Amino acid sequence: MDEATSAGISEPLDLVKLSLGERVFIKLRGDRTITGVLHAYDAHMNVVLSQVEESIHLVDVTDQGEPLPPRVERRNVEMLFVRGDGVILISPTQQ
Amino acid sequence: MSGFFGFDTALPERAGQGGAGGGGRQQQFAGFQASNADETFALGGAGEEEDLAVYTWGEGMGGGLMEGGDELNDETFGGGGNGDFGNNFQFSSQPTNAPSKGYGQSTGGGKIASTQSRYKPKPVADPFAFSEDDFYSSRPSTKKPAAPKAPSRPKASTAHSGSVDNLWNKPAVSSPGWGTAPSSIAKPTPPPSASFPSHPSQGPPAPGHIKSLEEIEAEMAQMPMPSTSTAAPRQQQVLSLEEIEKQMMEQIEPPRQPTPQQVAPQREATPSQVPGLAGSGYPSQQALLDSMFPELGKGAIADQPTAPFAPGQEGQRTQEQQSQPIQPSPEEIARVEELRRRISTKIEAMSKYNNLMGSSDKDFITRIQLSQLATADPYTSDFYAQVFSALKRSRQIAEGQGEPTVVQVGAGLGLGVGGPVGNRFGKMGQNTMTKLSTQVKKLVENRAQHQKVANTAALQGALGRVTRGNAAAPRPVLAIPTSNKPEYRPASQLNEQTGVHRAALTRKQVMFALEELYDATLELEQMRRDAPPPTAMEEIEVWHARCQAKVDLIWRSLMVMEPLDVSNPHPFISLINPIKGQRLFMRLLRHLPHNQSITLLSLLIATYIQLDVVARAPPPPVADASLLTKADRLDRAKREGATDHFLHSVIPGVDMIINRCGLGLVAGMLAISAQRSDVCRVAATRPGVALYTALLSKAQSLIRAPAPDPMNPQQSQPADPAEVEQWSKTFTYFLHVLLPHLPEFFPSSVAQKAAFGPGAYLLGGDAISERDGLEMERREAEVWGFAAALAVNAAEEDQTALVGALRETILHTVQSARNPTISPARSEMKLRNVNMFLNGLGLDAAMIE
Repeated sequence: MDEATSAGISEPLDLVKLSLGERVFIKLRGDRTITGVLHAYDAHMNVVLSQVEESIHLVDVTDQGEPLPPRVERRNVEMLFVRGDGVILISPTQQ
Repeated sequence: MSGFFGFDTALPERAGQGGAGGGGRQQQFAGFQASNADETFALGGAGEEEDLAVYTWGEGMGGGLMEGGDELNDETFGGGGNGDFGNNFQFSSQPTNAPSKGYGQSTGGGKIASTQSRYKPKPVADPFAFSEDDFYSSRPSTKKPAAPKAPSRPKASTAHSGSVDNLWNKPAVSSPGWGTAPSSIAKPTPPPSASFPSHPSQGPPAPGHIKSLEEIEAEMAQMPMPSTSTAAPRQQQVLSLEEIEKQMMEQIEPPRQPTPQQVAPQREATPSQVPGLAGSGYPSQQALLDSMFPELGKGAIADQPTAPFAPGQEGQRTQEQQSQPIQPSPEEIARVEELRRRISTKIEAMSKYNNLMGSSDKDFITRIQLSQLATADPYTSDFYAQVFSALKRSRQIAEGQGEPTVVQVGAGLGLGVGGPVGNRFGKMGQNTMTKLSTQVKKLVENRAQHQKVANTAALQGALGRVTRGNAAAPRPVLAIPTSNKPEYRPASQLNEQTGVHRAALTRKQVMFALEELYDATLELEQMRRDAPPPTAMEEIEVWHARCQAKVDLIWRSLMVMEPLDVSNPHPFISLINPIKGQRLFMRLLRHLPHNQSITLLSLLIATYIQLDVVARAPPPPVADASLLTKADRLDRAKREGATDHFLHSVIPGVDMIINRCGLGLVAGMLAISAQRSDVCRVAATRPGVALYTALLSKAQSLIRAPAPDPMNPQQSQPADPAEVEQWSKTFTYFLHVLLPHLPEFFPSSVAQKAAFGPGAYLLGGDAISERDGLEMERREAEVWGFAAALAVNAAEEDQTALVGALRETILHTVQSARNPTISPARSEMKLRNVNMFLNGLGLDAAMIE
């Protein structure tokens, strides 16, 4: 059965296709992660997402140069276009 | 460049110096030069740094102008005051700046005029625009001022030996020269209309040039002497310009140089004038241009009156124009003028680049662009545009416009060309489209041959779509799909397995199957749109067969025919569980024949309990959301969302199928559900309630009022007694299974039961927010509706049992509706809910004490 499934998958992006319309997790450069419903993607991994939650992982540094514990900034976006050059990985969210 | 802008910034001051009068041109010139000299203007400093050339150039030109051409200024620019264009003029003045700079001679005067126009638009602005206009459309009369400049030009360019300056100047200088070249060629040939048809290829193609020809004729008729006399010096002038350019161009690309000039005249044959002209890519582009500026044709005619003759004459003409029978209002004229000006400005701005490319260049680029547009699947790759235009077309169908939205270029490739009137390609008619398609076809065939020779396509795209290519296998400009992927049929694959029972589809398999289904659906929808004309019988048969094959494929992919117990959940339920699958449901139903949709519904009902929204229905609400963990809240929200979506996208389809069923079928469905699943559990969920309500009310409407429906003869028959009998038996069974649990279906009672501790008290009262309360009532309404459907279907003694079962709930609801602490809106909803049920029995809430 798995063979049957993989028969139609000829390139990595075909896997992304399976996540169309589903919630995906995207890791971005700059210590950002995003989850959102995937609407479209292309060969450059440009993606269009809706109901996005973006998380920015920050480590603040004190004046003495000591790192504070990491913190996460979040924001929600209704609809988002993500340029592909920042995308590190795309994965389905764990259900 | 910065110097150029710097000049602009300096202007206000200068304008202030120059005084408001339009006639103070000499003064302005003087002022300008002075500005270069002394530092009053910011300009001077900037110019010295790097754009000195521009300045000295301007200076030189200014000088030239003052020496030679000033007498004509009045004629060229007009005395002023005859046209009121106001600020609008800025549009034209800005773009024209650049060309004027490049052109050289007129720069001094032109720049000043234009900049001044910005600050005192009225007097100077429009005359200048005319001259500029005409200048670029190469009207003879404008050449006068240009003539004296020629000598100064070479001087200026040679004077600035600085390499930077040359770089700056070169392109600017060369392009206008090319632009004017055709006009210079056209001019020497006597422009009488008789000669025109005989040399169609010489006709200047660019819109501006067309104008000029017509205009020349008109001018010839009116004042032949001045125009010809002015033309002669001009031509010499142009030649000298070209020589300069040649020198310049030789430094850059020697071989190129001759082609543009020689090619230009040929290319310039306009499509409108020479429709049959064998096309390089150019005519189509020309047509594109034309379509972009439809007013242009009119503009050319309208231009004539405004041609920059002596101001007096111009004034006369405008008067004539106004005294024409139509008598458009002055605002109208101004508006049209403004429009025309903007258009011509735009064309001027573009004309800077006229003839930069040879026809082969253009062809090449056109081909590249076309190949980018060509796709194996014009409809899906252009899906939204196509659907949009389809919608638009359906609106315009009354007007009977039917144009192809896709140009087939053979081998399964095509171009989407948008709207019904071919908006995207302007008024390029069928002709051009054919031309386009042959172009691309050639390209595609070429490519296909190449690919056949070196077939590396198998590996291409294995790592995404980045292929670098090498000498042996250059990267294809146009990737042609070599073969279709083997069709993946989950159903048949699954059927090969002998075991009756097996694991449910994995999520990945589901997703994959769904994507296949989407693809197939899109293709099918496309096929349906492509229906051959009703006259072609054979084609229609073929088309039907193809559609049918597609439907069969979809049917197999849906896996509806798998044995009921093949897995849990059933493969079809697996497919419809994700939101993606639910979205597809309605779309698929449209294509499935009646019996298949019935089968599908039966399966759905039989396995209803396997649906995510039923099996994992959202738990009853709690009094206090703060009691929940975050994960819990998220989970609830997700399940609620899924339920909403199911109700929104699948239930309408279910209703639709049920509405097509006869009583026997409805009874059968209910029986299946009662047999195969735990009715109570199903009915305790919103999707379940919706399903049963639909079944019951359909049955009732069939039994009660088999209204004769001419559209559907099946329904017009009175209900078959046997079927009625079957129905009532099924229903009675169903009702009796349900009755003991009936109160549990109401969200409020479920919530109360689930609540404990203080929550139990809070729930009944008004602790819940108004919004939640109304939402709760809305949910209750669904169940009350279901109860009402039960009531109307129930036999008399069953009705009593029904009321007995719901007695508590009814009383509770009515009481809480009369509770003064409850909001009026909510109490009204409560009463309406109860009445929905009671009225079905011929009762009313008002009768309750």
